Amino acid sequence: MPDQQRQPEGHVGSLVISALFVIMGIVALYDTTGYYDRDSQVFPRTVAILMILTAGLSLVTRFLHPRESGGFGTGTWWRRVLLILAMFAGSLAIPHIGFLASGAIAFTGGLIAAMHDRWTVMTAALYAGSGAAVIIAFFALFRYVLHVPLP
Amino acid sequence: MEFGHFLSALTPFNLVLALFGVVAGTIVGSIPGLTATMALAVLVPITFSMDPASALILLGAIYTGAIYGGAYAAILLNTPGTPSAIATTFDGYPMAKRGDGDLAVALACFASVVGGLVGAFALLLLAPPLSKVALAFGPIEYFWLSIFGLSLIASLSTGNLMKGLAGGAFGMLLSTVGVAEVSADIRLTFGSQMLVGGFGVIGALIGLYCIPVLIDLVATPDRHLKVEEDVRSVRIGEAFRIAARSKFNLIRSSVIGTLIGILPGAGGSVAGLVAYSEAKRTARPDQKFGQGEPDGILATESANNATVGGGFIPTLVLGIPGTPPDAIVLGALLVQGVRTGPTMFSQSGSIVYTFIYGLLIATVLMLPAGLLIGRYAYKSIVNIPKAVLVPTVGFMTIIGTFSIRNSVTDVILMLGLGVFGWVVGRFGFAASPIVLGLILGPIAEQGFVQGWTIGSATGNLFGMFFGRSISQGIIAFTLLSLFLPLYTAWRQRKKPQEQS
Repeated sequence: MPDQQRQPEGHVGSLVISALFVIMGIVALYDTTGYYDRDSQVFPRTVAILMILTAGLSLVTRFLHPRESGGFGTGTWWRRVLLILAMFAGSLAIPHIGFLASGAIAFTGGLIAAMHDRWTVMTAALYAGSGAAVIIAFFALFRYVLHVPLP
Repeated sequence: MEFGHFLSALTPFNLVLALFGVVAGTIVGSIPGLTATMALAVLVPITFSMDPASALILLGAIYTGAIYGGAYAAILLNTPGTPSAIATTFDGYPMAKRGDGDLAVALACFASVVGGLVGAFALLLLAPPLSKVALAFGPIEYFWLSIFGLSLIASLSTGNLMKGLAGGAFGMLLSTVGVAEVSADIRLTFGSQMLVGGFGVIGALIGLYCIPVLIDLVATPDRHLKVEEDVRSVRIGEAFRIAARSKFNLIRSSVIGTLIGILPGAGGSVAGLVAYSEAKRTARPDQKFGQGEPDGILATESANNATVGGGFIPTLVLGIPGTPPDAIVLGALLVQGVRTGPTMFSQSGSIVYTFIYGLLIATVLMLPAGLLIGRYAYKSIVNIPKAVLVPTVGFMTIIGTFSIRNSVTDVILMLGLGVFGWVVGRFGFAASPIVLGLILGPIAEQGFVQGWTIGSATGNLFGMFFGRSISQGIIAFTLLSLFLPLYTAWRQRKKPQEQS
């Protein structure tokens, strides 16, 4: 990834993510105390302890020896957010408006997010037509050939 | 093993079936979310009216084609089309990004054919003795095999070992979410109905590998794949030379794939990862695995296709299906009235040998068919505008994930995991260890808990885990795989100091 180079927020971010893993390990460890059977307890408990130890070691090492690495890098945030929101919105809408319409929501959001060139009537028509063809083709493939019960 | 069986496999009808099966399997396998299992399950009813040998040839061709097809999406979109192609992403996508995607696809095709042939020849010549290997593996051996697979984390996380191990542990925890198989306890759901079904491996794969790429692609106006200025001819010759130069890696990986294919439950993903780990462990100093090294693709693709023939060994000889696709083939055989078992080779020899020869022919047909489809797929992905590619792939991730269990929840979890994977990946917690943990977690847990129970009951826990000879061999390989990258890195750091 070209923009995943040294970034100022990298050190703090790395510490935060390591701490997050430690917290998730502690939460998982706590959850295992509520299981009735010892057989279902032993594996997640062992793994949770391993996660706490390794993420904790990473946290301490990074804290004692700060090193700038990682970070969110360059790039347009609204495009990233729009893509994610469109995909989530499309997915959540599936049971309510069906796969074709929800696919159109996800596709349109992704198209707007990924379009870096100037919009023209021609490109808008061409890309919209491509989107419709892709959605209908995959819908038909999954529903009528593979017999997946798409809403 | 008569010549007549070979001729029976060569009938025009069987050849058409083999070609159709390979093409259909390759196309299905290349779509993220559609697996070899699904391709076989959908197409199995059309085999019921065929004679058993032809039906088996079609199913074998679909299976082998689907395993190869998974490489396309892995190389061109960083999304394994099937779980078997996970390790193909490690070097395939970097190759595609630097403009060598066509070479990577051709390499994957050569490797798949070699692996498929080795697996099919093992099925033809060594099925009865090799099936005994499957019986020699107990729960502890499976546990250590999964730990061996996890030791790949060390080589995947050079410089970030602790983060890699934490990611692997996180993946294993994810694999425990939902209803416990051993005791039906509800684990790590925190009262949420959404999590009761657990994280599906395919959905998690799509989310962790594909969504971060899409998030990065939309953020900048850069092209998705580098396109060379000069128009190059077909790179089959170059791919063949590289494959010929790495013949030892190809054969070793194919043998690994065949042996792992024999083990019920292990499958192509484990085979690909173990073969990749071995190729990396024995690499020359100038080979940079993880940055577009052709040997990484050769190792993974030969191993995962070798599992097809390997997996049929216990299926046909013992009636124990090694993988879900093998189970479907076994079901088709039962419907046809063919009884599997140790006597199958003598009682139904004509069916079995015609099928094995058919599988060999289908694997050979995969070479022209795979190269042609691969070239077309590469050109399409390169030339398609990014503004259309991103939403198309995004839509495919949604429909592919939904189709696995017909569940919107799976799609939401896939997207959530994808965003999580993108965020933590930005700070050194790579997706691959998480995926490794997720895939190997259930195998490790089952082996661990069963071994623990048996060891406790017999009062010899230490002997149970460390006293069996196969276990000791796997432990030795695990230690080697775990510590060799650390030792190599330490030697490289020390060298400049010694010189100065």
